[in-house]
Amino acid sequence: MSTTPARTYWHLQAQQRQFSLLIEKRALIVNLLLAALLVFCSLASLAFGTLTIPLSGLMQTLLGNGSGMHDFVVTELRWPRLLAGGLTGAALALAGCLMQTLARNRLATPGIIGIDNAATAFAVASVVGTGISIAPPAMALTGAAIATALAFGLSGATGTRGYRFIIAGLAIGAISGAITQVMLSSVALDDANAAYPWTVGSLNARTDGSVQALAAGLALGYPLALALKRALVTLQLPEPVTISLGIHPGRVRLAGLVLSILLTGLAVAVAGPIGLVALLAPEMARTLSRPGTVPLTAAALTGAILMVISDLAGRLILAPLEIPVGIVTALAGSPYLLWILLRKSSDINQ
Amino acid sequence: MKSTPYYWPAWILLGLVGLTSLLFGAGTLELRQAFAVLAGQGTEEARFIVLELRLPRLAIGLVTGLALGVAGALLQTLTRNPLAEPGLLGVSAGSAFAVSLAILAGASTATLTTLVSQAGALAGCGLVILATRIQGVGQDPVRLVLAGATLSALLMSLTSLIMLIDQRAADEIRFWITGSIAGKNWEQLTTTLPTLVISGFIVIAVAKPLASLALGERVARGLGHRPGLVQLGVVIAVALLTGSATALAGPLMFVGLVVPFVARALGGADIRKTLWLCLPLGPAMIIAADTLSRLLVAPSEMPLGVITALLGAPVLLVIIRTRRIPTL
Amino acid sequence: MNQFVTVPSTLRLDAPLSACNLTMAHGHHTVLSELDIALPAGRVTAIVGPNGCGKSTLLNGLARIHKPRHGSVVLNGADIQTLPARQVAQKLALLPQDNSAPEGLTVTDLIRFGRHPHQGWLSQWSDDDQRAVEQALAAADIEALADRALDTLSGGQRQRAWVAMSIAQETPLLLLDEPTSALDLGHQVEVFELIRTLAGRGKTIAMVVHDLPSACRYADNVVAMCGGEIIGAGAPADVITTELIETLYGITCDLMQDPASGSPVLLNIRRMQR
Repeated sequence: MSTTPARTYWHLQAQQRQFSLLIEKRALIVNLLLAALLVFCSLASLAFGTLTIPLSGLMQTLLGNGSGMHDFVVTELRWPRLLAGGLTGAALALAGCLMQTLARNRLATPGIIGIDNAATAFAVASVVGTGISIAPPAMALTGAAIATALAFGLSGATGTRGYRFIIAGLAIGAISGAITQVMLSSVALDDANAAYPWTVGSLNARTDGSVQALAAGLALGYPLALALKRALVTLQLPEPVTISLGIHPGRVRLAGLVLSILLTGLAVAVAGPIGLVALLAPEMARTLSRPGTVPLTAAALTGAILMVISDLAGRLILAPLEIPVGIVTALAGSPYLLWILLRKSSDINQ
Repeated sequence: MKSTPYYWPAWILLGLVGLTSLLFGAGTLELRQAFAVLAGQGTEEARFIVLELRLPRLAIGLVTGLALGVAGALLQTLTRNPLAEPGLLGVSAGSAFAVSLAILAGASTATLTTLVSQAGALAGCGLVILATRIQGVGQDPVRLVLAGATLSALLMSLTSLIMLIDQRAADEIRFWITGSIAGKNWEQLTTTLPTLVISGFIVIAVAKPLASLALGERVARGLGHRPGLVQLGVVIAVALLTGSATALAGPLMFVGLVVPFVARALGGADIRKTLWLCLPLGPAMIIAADTLSRLLVAPSEMPLGVITALLGAPVLLVIIRTRRIPTL
Repeated sequence: MNQFVTVPSTLRLDAPLSACNLTMAHGHHTVLSELDIALPAGRVTAIVGPNGCGKSTLLNGLARIHKPRHGSVVLNGADIQTLPARQVAQKLALLPQDNSAPEGLTVTDLIRFGRHPHQGWLSQWSDDDQRAVEQALAAADIEALADRALDTLSGGQRQRAWVAMSIAQETPLLLLDEPTSALDLGHQVEVFELIRTLAGRGKTIAMVVHDLPSACRYADNVVAMCGGEIIGAGAPADVITTELIETLYGITCDLMQDPASGSPVLLNIRRMQR
């Protein structure tokens, strides 16, 4: 029986032996397939809508010599929306994957522990003219940070494993949701209507600034998350073992939390609370990956795919009416969450 | 069984809260005039505001609070779970969804709303009971609540979908869905009365066996009760009560959690004491929340559900924070 | 309680790991107070004592899992709290009790975790890592199980896989918390003999052991703890006396020498007559 990892890994090593790298074959293949799927879904998202653009027309436009109408629909309407959706999905999924791993709890994702709702409440506060003039992304970040601190702080005695931690999040989410309602009901109707799509999760209420902030956050957060991955993986072992391997679990958790707050806050500032993508995408990515890994890239790609598909579905199903993408993901995701919760031998701890 | 020192103070509290709700409101009515109306005098306008606007609200708050408080206490005892609550477990969401479907189908008469709402609550209750039968879920109070919250979220999303499809339905659903007891009239209240009386009789009948059921099914059987029948009775009562409350005020979260929690803290774990205390405490909570919802952002109004969530979520946190969740 | 104090000070000079004046507490509850211990190099030290006497707390303190309230743990002459985590991890491995791993993780995957302290951003998998994993598999005699998922193994096999992970860490010091708990007799012997083999190759090992006869049989050095204090330390034949057993467990027994190993054997165990 051979014990070389060569069958499941590619081993890269420089001549001087100072540089060596293991590339997991399965992860690479999964990521390539997901990337291809993402490209496919993106093309579909650019092509379909109230105006269907044939593939040839789409190609012409992408190559820079399409017709005026097609150019306008694709580059002005659909591409920015596709970008916003993809980035939001990737950021939420990455945040979810990080948080699941560091809390060692499959359900510990931003939406479920109330971070989305809190970020939304804060972002709404800056939109509906409550006198706060800080930009929505900054407000959403503040909200996300406060809610995370509350959720983890309140779980102090009982820890983040198990269901109790999640209930604390549920309560935080309920309070945040109520505060959002208070603000909406206390301002002028026009302001409230402007903020409404946001509160259910929609790609319609985005501002360019917030998308740019999210892109920058992802460009910063994704490499940092990858750099953290080696340490994150060991968090899956019992804590004494992690310490014994020379890791400071507290520092790794803090770093992971800061990253997931950053990503969640910026994503919510773009699209509001998108139900369950942060839970579904990492779950799917884990199913596709080898056991015991932390599939950050696969989760991010899956999150982007989910958002793009959900947004497309939301635009097409009841066309010309548009279903907010947050409702689509909630509808698709809740049955899965119920299944996790009600399985006979449900173990949410990793 | 009323022998708790807090019983009469609780009724006095309800009286005070009720009086406050008649005296204060968003309108420009002066306090003196409101008093005059209560004394049987007052101007035409003052009489209209107090008797036609505020009094029905008070009555509906009374019925809703009564129903939700008792339903919460019953459901908690039945599932032996202090977190079980019609709002959290998806029973209210079930009836809200049923009503939304009915509105989408073109219905809008008050009678039908109540019946449909109760049917939806019954379906929700059935799901909850099924879930507690799953190994591991029934024993874990927290997991059941999470599943209920997820079910609620799912049904709420479906309701949002309905609102998207049908603009007329959306207008009818929108205000009602966040929970409100404003703008309801006596007629709607009377449609729920028969079912309230029925569930009242059921509660009286099951209270004693339920108390022994709390000791376990086998003990209850040994004491000569029939657990299956008792459980069925409780489920029906909870469905009728929650359905009526939801038809009147929309899906209200946390009322059924907070009221029995406070009642148990004051009166001890015996279900009969809890139920007696829930009678004044439930309405007191709803009416106080309703008065607050009128005053906080006056002259506009805040959804009642928002206030109950703000009051209830911290209580949920307190229960969770205690190291061991006592099974009931 | 200190009538048996016998930590020979000579041991401490060449001890790779020692603790001095060690006080550990959970909240307000002091578990260990002002305790001195030294692990003799290249030997197996067994820490024994009744439930709740602070054995595991001592092991966790030695492995810097928990910070001491007072006193210090000294690793090769330096306070362990001042050393970089990675450097400590190259010198000292801990295997706690009741380990759980992510579902579906294979034996090789688990053992590879042990190489973490020897890797860096640039050098993620060197030939040394490969060799260490193979040697660990061979040392624990689980080469045939290399690609099996941990959850499909028997208790003894799984425990050997965890020990193999610690072996792959290639540390001169190895601390084990009840390495044989929940194992049947055959699997216990398997794990204990593996531990002896490792000591034979020069590792310094400390283990918390519940079973006193096994401790006597497989350890060179026994540390007896009671109520958060060390009440005896030294070679099993010197330390294990009927008086000590009475103090530790409240039982009386007769002691004999194992004809094969010379270690003490407990016979005729009964409750103390008062």
